[in-house]
Amino acid sequence: MKKIIYITFVALGFISCDNYLDIEPVGQVIPKSVEEYRSFLTSAYDIAKDYKVLTTFRTDELALSTSALGVEQYEDVFIWNDVNPSPLTRVFPYASLYNTIFYTNHVINSESTMEGTPSDIEQLVGEAYALRAMQYFELVNLYGKPYNKATAITDAGVPITTEYDAEKDYPVKTVEEVYTLILDDLDKAEALLNIEKQDLGYNYRFSTVAVKAFKSRVYLYQQEWQNAIDLANEALAINAELQNLNSNVSIMPSEYNAVESILALETIASFDMVNNTTISNSLITAYNQTDDLRFSLYFNKNTDGSFSSKKSAETKFKVSYRTAELYLTIAECLAELNNIDLAKETLIAFTENRYTSSGWDIYKTYVNALSLADLKEEIQEERRREFAIEGQRWNDLRRTTQPELTKEFDGVTYVLEQNDDRYVIPFPNDAIINNPNL
Amino acid sequence: MKKLIYLLIFIPSLLIAQQGKVIEGTVIDAALQMPIVGASVYVSSAIIGNETNTEGVIQGSMLGTTTDFDGAFSLRVGADAKFILVSYMGYETEKIDISAVTKKLSVVLKESPENLQEIVLTGYQKIEKRKMTSAYAKVEMTDINQAGVSSVDQMLVGQLSGVVVQPTSGAPGAPSKISIRGTATLNGSSDPLWVLDGIPLEGNDIPQDFRDKDNIDNLQSYPIAGLNPEDIESITVLKDASATSIYGARAANGVIVITSKNGKKGAMRINVNANVFVTQKPDFSKLNLMNSSEKVDFELLLASRSDLKYQQDRGGVARILNNYGEYNNFRDNGFTSISLDAQNEINNLKNINTNWGDELYQMAINQQYGVSISGGNENNNYYFSTGIFDEKGATKGTGQKRYNITLKDNFNVNDKLKVGVALFGSQNTTSSYITGADAYTNPSFYSRNANPYLSLKDADGNYVYDPDLVERSDLNLDYNVLEERENTNYELVASSLKAIFDVGYKLNKEIHFNTQLGLQLDFDKTEKYSDEESYYTRKYEQRSQYTSSGETLYYMPKGGIIQNWNADGFQYNWKTTANYNTSFNTIHELDVMLGTEFRRNKRTEIHTKGFGFNSNTLTTTAITNELALTNSLFDAYGKTYNENAYASFFGTASYTYDKKYTVFGSLRYDGSNLFGVNPKYRYLPIWSFAGSWNVYKEDFMYDVDAISDLKIRASYGVQGNIDKSTSPFVIGEYYTTSVLPGVSEEIIRALSAPNGNLRWEKTVSSNIGLDLGLLNNKIYISGDYYARKSTDLIGLRSVPLESGYNFINTNWATVSNKGFELSISTTNIDTPHFKWTSGFNISHNKSIVDAIENREEDFKPSLKGYSVNAIFAIKTAGLDSNGLPLFWKDGVKVSAVDFYNLEEGTDGSQLTREEHRDLYTYVGDGTPKFSGGFRNSFKYKQFDLRVLTNFNIKQTVKTTPSYNPALAQPGNSYNTDILKAGTGSYPALIGLTSPGFDTDLVYTWFNSSDDGKTYNDLDIWVKDISYIRVSSIKLSYAIPKSKLEKFSLSSFNFNIEGRNLFVLGTDYNGFFDPETYGSLYAQPIPKIVSVGFNLSF
Repeated sequence: MKKIIYITFVALGFISCDNYLDIEPVGQVIPKSVEEYRSFLTSAYDIAKDYKVLTTFRTDELALSTSALGVEQYEDVFIWNDVNPSPLTRVFPYASLYNTIFYTNHVINSESTMEGTPSDIEQLVGEAYALRAMQYFELVNLYGKPYNKATAITDAGVPITTEYDAEKDYPVKTVEEVYTLILDDLDKAEALLNIEKQDLGYNYRFSTVAVKAFKSRVYLYQQEWQNAIDLANEALAINAELQNLNSNVSIMPSEYNAVESILALETIASFDMVNNTTISNSLITAYNQTDDLRFSLYFNKNTDGSFSSKKSAETKFKVSYRTAELYLTIAECLAELNNIDLAKETLIAFTENRYTSSGWDIYKTYVNALSLADLKEEIQEERRREFAIEGQRWNDLRRTTQPELTKEFDGVTYVLEQNDDRYVIPFPNDAIINNPNL
Repeated sequence: MKKLIYLLIFIPSLLIAQQGKVIEGTVIDAALQMPIVGASVYVSSAIIGNETNTEGVIQGSMLGTTTDFDGAFSLRVGADAKFILVSYMGYETEKIDISAVTKKLSVVLKESPENLQEIVLTGYQKIEKRKMTSAYAKVEMTDINQAGVSSVDQMLVGQLSGVVVQPTSGAPGAPSKISIRGTATLNGSSDPLWVLDGIPLEGNDIPQDFRDKDNIDNLQSYPIAGLNPEDIESITVLKDASATSIYGARAANGVIVITSKNGKKGAMRINVNANVFVTQKPDFSKLNLMNSSEKVDFELLLASRSDLKYQQDRGGVARILNNYGEYNNFRDNGFTSISLDAQNEINNLKNINTNWGDELYQMAINQQYGVSISGGNENNNYYFSTGIFDEKGATKGTGQKRYNITLKDNFNVNDKLKVGVALFGSQNTTSSYITGADAYTNPSFYSRNANPYLSLKDADGNYVYDPDLVERSDLNLDYNVLEERENTNYELVASSLKAIFDVGYKLNKEIHFNTQLGLQLDFDKTEKYSDEESYYTRKYEQRSQYTSSGETLYYMPKGGIIQNWNADGFQYNWKTTANYNTSFNTIHELDVMLGTEFRRNKRTEIHTKGFGFNSNTLTTTAITNELALTNSLFDAYGKTYNENAYASFFGTASYTYDKKYTVFGSLRYDGSNLFGVNPKYRYLPIWSFAGSWNVYKEDFMYDVDAISDLKIRASYGVQGNIDKSTSPFVIGEYYTTSVLPGVSEEIIRALSAPNGNLRWEKTVSSNIGLDLGLLNNKIYISGDYYARKSTDLIGLRSVPLESGYNFINTNWATVSNKGFELSISTTNIDTPHFKWTSGFNISHNKSIVDAIENREEDFKPSLKGYSVNAIFAIKTAGLDSNGLPLFWKDGVKVSAVDFYNLEEGTDGSQLTREEHRDLYTYVGDGTPKFSGGFRNSFKYKQFDLRVLTNFNIKQTVKTTPSYNPALAQPGNSYNTDILKAGTGSYPALIGLTSPGFDTDLVYTWFNSSDDGKTYNDLDIWVKDISYIRVSSIKLSYAIPKSKLEKFSLSSFNFNIEGRNLFVLGTDYNGFFDPETYGSLYAQPIPKIVSVGFNLSF
């Protein structure tokens, strides 16, 4: 009799037990709703995107002194010593990019199970596609050869993963395969996104205009000139605004809250860069210091006569795409398509916002007199001035002529030869150790 | 049930033999020296008569008689009878040789140990020892109790076979690391489960690597820290699977069951005890440090060598030489060529001998008091006690103070219903010093590195800061140990209340129910305070440095730093069992238990930090600078909350046949909240079965006189564990962030990589044991052999970074443990005035890592095929003519350049990680080959002497190198090994330009490029140690009862005890204790002399 009572008691115990054990730990969640996935993707946006800081050390934009604090971390990057760098050398980011890809993959692969309004889900998944494309674009431009239509199908790029699996192999894919994935992702993103332009403060998130601007850049790197122009124009149809520095120098045009901002995601400068390096002479002399309104807006003059960047690690300086780039892309592509007059017109129209009116007059005359070859060079120079310390320079050098660079450090002259192999950064050691395929 | 009912039916008339003799005598109780009435006296039962179903009950015709009211008997036996047997319920049967008996016999019967009903308390059940099938060890507190020891774990050192207790540090309140039968995990906690009167205790795990400089100085609240050893009756350690499986997954590392004292039937008994114990100042000379004269000469030697440039401007001598601008002059021309003033100043350094041993350590007089009141009657028993334990450590600034109060009461409401209540309350305050992030300021570490000529105060009484304790060559944050002690404070106040309610209901003779609710409330308050004038604060301030328009500023406000950690823990444990105990046909015994257990614990921790703290106004200053927002060191508030629930269902069944054969089985399902964990792992089945054979009860054993007990046991069981942090799903954790200015957002960060393939860790154990009593149990031997195999152990494995992660949890290893344990207790001499008893135990455990996944990036070789604590070293082959170390490579002596494949023009070794791993050779096991203890008690009249020792035999240990030949610098003090550099096996000090082949490469390697830190692994720093520690010698004197009666006292004892007085064995020069050999941070294990008394009335 008593046993029966007891058995009943045990049975009841089992039934109520699952409730008893259901504790959702404070602060933990398995994302299910689109709102939770939104917070999840924001984490991916929040992962440090500071790869451009280190590439800037490799360009001709900075000068480094042996007495600078923390110089050990940067000197080998600065002088392109990839073979035997000091153990203290800052390592180019690799894991953080793939960590971002992990997040985007999870969002993309959860589309069918996500709970919420379809438009919200589409926007979110579209952003994930675009963010993933961005990671692969940055990876392939750090660790792969610049896109070259002729050799891209054999040139080594980076490993590709579109789902989480710690057990599988990660072979290196070709540059062509990586670019195919990028464009594929961007097509999907374009189809899914339903926010044309993000509100201020949320403009780190992808929107239609950001995807178009990004796509325009991809085509530019692939030297698909007409496609690049088309996409730039599509983006400009959404946001064509330029900040005229003649009337407004309260902020830089690259700041997240400037009218030009399309996507403000990547960190482009660091504390050390601002405090412990100076701007190289070649970059300083690229400016007309009196007429180019950008000069005093971008740079600080130090007591010793050198200059430092005003763009810093502060989050307000985050930038990825802005309208200025679209205009310069159009000008460059037109020139490449031999449309010299329209190219000049585009360049001149853009620079009206950057020079004093008297300076602009001189500049106009100067540009109008340029040959096609000189015009192409001038457009690159204008890009260099416009995007100083914005992380564009390294990629611009790579995708164009890969020119010879020379640098002085500690009394020694270092040379990066034209088309030097070191225009491709070797995979970081910890990546190689964990992936024998690299 | 066990009821020895002697029904002797005696029909004398039928059995009177024609021939024979009459045996007469009396039967006496050994303890009481009183006659036993009704004892059976008979010739062997095997001869005549039919045994009944009940043991000892003889039916039918049988030759025998019983004793009368005076214990006397008279028995006529046949002429051929050689023996008679004398037996009585509850006493051991005596066999008497009557072949040569002529006069009256006096037979003394002793109470049988079995019939004393020795009970083993498992926390779930009370099992009679005779039915025990599993391996356990038990010790009575009276045998091991020591004065001046705050917590019971330290008293267990060497007392229980198979239980290795290793003190981690001599700090007051420092835990002892306990491992029962080796380690069954490579990553998780290896702590056993502590159970108090049936309730598993909650508390912090002891850190895996207690030698770690941060862990060792971290005050934590451990499960048994609040428990007063005076309240403990006995301790039972459950070792094999059949004993522990009832505790479920948590018992994988064994279970230690504490049984607390209860009131005993009888008049109220009041017990008072008081001890004063003196903690000795440690023997600082054990560290073998240089004195001022040696140190100054050493610095002069360094300065005189142009090749030794490493941090050459540090140290007192270099400072004097540089002040006078004579450094180069000295180096080139010697001491006599420098100015007299400089010479004098240097010579004066030799006369300052700061005794760091006196500055940092002390002798402390401490106290311990306790009062208990207990008593009881048929229906109620009670126990009440209170105690104070107050200890100041040998290291200045450390201490522990504990207050205890315990209340227990058990009532019998009626024949069927019993209720018990117990409350254990304590407040335990531990205090220590603050060490900075880098632990330079740990006193044990600092005392080894501080220069002996460094004064602590100048002539005006101002603090002198150590000029050689610098952060960078251009930054000295001013450290003075006295100032630091004066102006900083670190304290943990752990208040704990444990309450246990028991209800037992006895339905009938066979069925009873028990339910027990245990509550544990813990409040741990930790406070770290550092005044503005302290190194700690100055160092902290550095972390807030920033530059603004070329100026170096700090955003940390001026003033002190106050940090608090308040943790609030609660758990309840409610278990209910139904027990069915029966016997039928008198030879079958069945014990069945079914039960449920529900457990829930919650812990909230709040951590606050205040800066600019003013100790007078108790106010802080807010940090206004936005930069602080991104530095978690300056977070003002943090909170964590944790909750866990467990539900378990279990049952055991035991069947005994004819008191000889017992089989036992147990099964438990453990369920717990596993958020996101694969549902198939929600309930873990944990099971075991076991059997025993009571050989002694077999008929053929009756004639074996020497053996008084013999039992063989065997068990087998499976235990499991699941990693709670891994899930097949992507689990996220909430945070807030601001990607762009002005917008703060909630984000969900993925907690860890999802892994759907994770299996549970499984440990399969088997055990074979033997219990043997000899010569009436004067010698009692217990031996066990066991094997445990743990498979699918979970560990971190590195994965391709492309997966998005660096490491994931996977099943990566298999570990086996095999070993034996032997314990022997003997009564060597037992006379009315003198008694000598001994207890000896020894155990051996050998672990083997059968499988383990290697990490490609590892510097050290894989453990596969070796023990869990295997020590690998680099084989050196002496020194070359320049004093540079030589190495063995493929049987050939080679230089460091060849050994490490050092190349000119590169930063370091060109070895791949695999080649790097191949440099190592296995040199020994870090686990002692044998460990155990030896306990001796002597009683002579009113005196008791007890000597406790413990030993470790053949343990391979790796010390911390006393110096590095490429990093030796004048600013540090060293142990005197460095004076022998270049001789024996001690490598010579080298610089970039020192003589020898490619010395620059060797220098650069050992100075900076040796990422795998191979210098620390040279075999010259490895040795095997064995030692025996005399942990306690205690002499007590009991005032004779006759003298106490007029004061109505029942007992009055005085005692004097010395703890840790000496250690015999391999030398451990350079360190305070063999247990902490190689640790630069451990506090010395205190030597304590105590005197006290114990009074009862």
